[in-house]
Amino acid sequence: MTAPELRFDPVSQDYFDNPYEIYRRMRDEAPIYYDAEEDFYALTRHEDVAAALKDHEAFSSARGCDLGMVRSEDGPVKSIIFMDPPEHRHMRSLLNKAFTPRAIQSQRETVIELVEHYLSKVDPDNFDVVQDFSGPFPVEVITRMAGVPEEFRQQVRHWIDKGLERKPGQIEWSDENMQANIDSGVYYYGLVQERRRNPQDDMISRLIAAEIPGENGEMRKLDDIEITGFTSLLGGAGAETVTKLLGSAVVEFARHPEQWQMLLDDRNLIPDAVEELLRYVGPVQYNVRYTVKEAHVPSGTIPAHKPVFLMKAAANRDPRAFDNAETFDITRDRTQAQNLGLGYGIHSCLGAALARMETAIALEHLLDFMPRFEVDFSGLQRVNMQNVAGYHHVPVKVLR
Amino acid sequence: MSKKIEVDFGLCESNAVCMGIIPEVFQVDEQDYLHVLQEDVTPENEAQVNEAVRQCPRQAISIVDK
Repeated sequence: MTAPELRFDPVSQDYFDNPYEIYRRMRDEAPIYYDAEEDFYALTRHEDVAAALKDHEAFSSARGCDLGMVRSEDGPVKSIIFMDPPEHRHMRSLLNKAFTPRAIQSQRETVIELVEHYLSKVDPDNFDVVQDFSGPFPVEVITRMAGVPEEFRQQVRHWIDKGLERKPGQIEWSDENMQANIDSGVYYYGLVQERRRNPQDDMISRLIAAEIPGENGEMRKLDDIEITGFTSLLGGAGAETVTKLLGSAVVEFARHPEQWQMLLDDRNLIPDAVEELLRYVGPVQYNVRYTVKEAHVPSGTIPAHKPVFLMKAAANRDPRAFDNAETFDITRDRTQAQNLGLGYGIHSCLGAALARMETAIALEHLLDFMPRFEVDFSGLQRVNMQNVAGYHHVPVKVLR
Repeated sequence: MSKKIEVDFGLCESNAVCMGIIPEVFQVDEQDYLHVLQEDVTPENEAQVNEAVRQCPRQAISIVDK
């Protein structure tokens, strides 16, 4: 008997339901996976993905970061994640000072308040940790930093979810995806106009005031479209990711109660737990790059002008890089290999320190709120989305 | 010729991962500036400096022959 043909279909229901089995086969059987039907490559071994993330000269982001976008003739909308140096460096430098581990300490009190607020509203006997908790709070933090008025902050989250949703078999954007992106774009565009008239102490106002080197070398201001794009990206990247990480965290700790007990016994392990969650169930599955020239990674060569999936979630479970890679273990030796959960190199997550802080604070409060709990596994529902995975529904009951 | 630490300050975003690995060599100050306290790679610090190079999320640190 032979194994069924190895096929990685990024928009199949099988893949949405359980990506990790497909990753294992890809790593073992086809480290440089080529999909003849859709004409793309995919890297899954840790050393290959890490090498490709470092090599931004061969693996370009300028055509976009998902398959539909990379193949499109129009090119992507202007956004920092779809840029190569030097433009990328200019744009990134506008906001990176606000996201250093030291700088985001100014958000600590806000995060604690929001976490306490949302936890105080749930019914301990029956609540959904994603819908009632990890969905609503991160979006408030990032959109507040960006400058979105309070009454629109939750709406941002619904636009993000709609924009990322993929139906089985759907690679290109659907009308619903498009509409959500248009709606949020129109909203942010209006907000930028408003901030031009009334600057505030927020990121939109800072982007309005900022200057970057233009093509002719002279300094120039950002236009409304660029600011709109940057702000909506921040809202997306800074919200749904932590939402998914925490939903998956509760599921994994329900499956591994002994590790939840370790955290209850020693809160100093929380930062290690966050790192292990990022490795084991990090929400970002992959980013797509486009080879602008023949590209070389340890497992071989990829021709020029091809989309390449850099599968971070697969690399993070590569047994060639981590001992017992498929085991969830918050005490593991983290120096064995680079955790790729937040990316690596020039496009590594700008909000990494904020994500870590939000997740750590949330875990700390969940330990107090539900020292013993159970997850209704029959009620788990996974998301079907572009390049992120996790749960939409995680029903929880606190045990007393 | 000796091995020296070089930091690309255009890439560095003050994540302070390097400082966590070897604070004797890398220090991120209160204003988020990274200082290389000792730029020579020595047999004593080499393993940890290599670890810092590898773990820097920005890939901003390198070792050069000077």
